[in-house]
Amino acid sequence: MDETLEELSLLEALDHLLDRGVVIAGEAVISIGDVDLLYLGLNIVLANVDAIVRTGRK
Amino acid sequence: MKSVIIGAHLQRDDIEPVAEALAVGDLFLSGLPVADDQPLGDRDLLLRVAKVRAALLDRATFIAIRYGFAGSPPEVASKCAAHVERWRALLEQHRDEVEMTLKVVAPEQQPRPDRRDFTSGGEYLKALHAATTAVDVDPDFRAAVENAIGKGRWLHRDQASLEFAALVARDAVERVRVAGEELKQRFPRVPFLLSGPWPLEVFADDRGE
Repeated sequence: MDETLEELSLLEALDHLLDRGVVIAGEAVISIGDVDLLYLGLNIVLANVDAIVRTGRK
Repeated sequence: MKSVIIGAHLQRDDIEPVAEALAVGDLFLSGLPVADDQPLGDRDLLLRVAKVRAALLDRATFIAIRYGFAGSPPEVASKCAAHVERWRALLEQHRDEVEMTLKVVAPEQQPRPDRRDFTSGGEYLKALHAATTAVDVDPDFRAAVENAIGKGRWLHRDQASLEFAALVARDAVERVRVAGEELKQRFPRVPFLLSGPWPLEVFADDRGE
């Protein structure tokens, strides 16, 4: 698979894992109070958008 | 030992042997056992969970639980007990469907508000929300997406992109992928990513209802 597409698939999978789905009684938000995880989520969103633009230019 | 919870499933067989099955009422949660001191932000753990999540979806449709929820089996079962009835109804209703998403990058990013410009946290959050909801894309593209993929929801997630989420029959995933390729031909200047199948994520999350 093309390297950019591979990166994009991985970022998309992680974006879905970190930012979708049912939140159990605020639990995910609280345990994501593990601040590293919050930053990770934000960075993945930004990287994901950037990768979509790069793939679109190819 | 704690378990990172991945999803809620109708049957034990939908989970085993890919992951650990934890009973909650008459449903089952899929979990990945990890040591109590295992940091959830660990890259290898995230990748493992993402892989297991994909393998579980190959077996049957399930409700995705947001990453970060972990605990001992009794704790997890007690925290999820209140959701069982609603989850069962959703799982039965969407047993043969999966989600597909199309993320489109907006032509103009909205500037992110600067916290220092606000005197209260509430006003800052409102400004963040306003910047996110101000993101828009070509209305012709939006209409073409709805026409190609079917009924779904447009979601504002950040200041740079907009996302369309749709429920798709499992046997229609390939047809939607082909429709995505046709959209690429028709709108070569619009950067977007069609992805899936995914478990029930947007359509199981009651906060947007």
